[in-house]
Amino acid sequence: MSHTKTMPPEYYAQLEQIQAIDFVIVELNLYLDTHPHDYQAIQQYNQCTYESKRLKKQFEKQFGPLMHFGRSYSNYPWNWDDTPWPWQV
Amino acid sequence: MSHTNKKYWYPYVSPYDPCKPITVKSYPTPPQLYMGFQPPNLAQFETPKQALFHGTLWPALYSKYDKRGDET
Repeated sequence: MSHTKTMPPEYYAQLEQIQAIDFVIVELNLYLDTHPHDYQAIQQYNQCTYESKRLKKQFEKQFGPLMHFGRSYSNYPWNWDDTPWPWQV
Repeated sequence: MSHTNKKYWYPYVSPYDPCKPITVKSYPTPPQLYMGFQPPNLAQFETPKQALFHGTLWPALYSKYDKRGDET
């Protein structure tokens, strides 16, 4: 019996988008640690954070929670009951 | 202000060395070594995906890490 389930390409596309925006946020965050007065960088950081939250909300509406322990909502019944688990993605 | 991302040195090879001689060794010298305190408003990659795939937000700090070993 071949493997049962594959996620749609959209699933991976959105995850990569989230990964990319979060990477930019990390870079800006580290930069701002040493450049706390760079107003433009702070603006960009806040814009990227807003975008990251939007992308995650969009993803979760379609594919269920992205994170656990209070960082994402769950539907009914509890969503954490099926593959792919994060390490299987 | 251009610099190379990789530098090489050439170990001494003794005529009595039983092993296969290692003639050249290299070490990475990425851009941040030459930059000092990062200036503000450095040019950034166009898209977040490009930044992710290059491993940095700023092209000035990008340094290619080629897979091969030490040969030139």
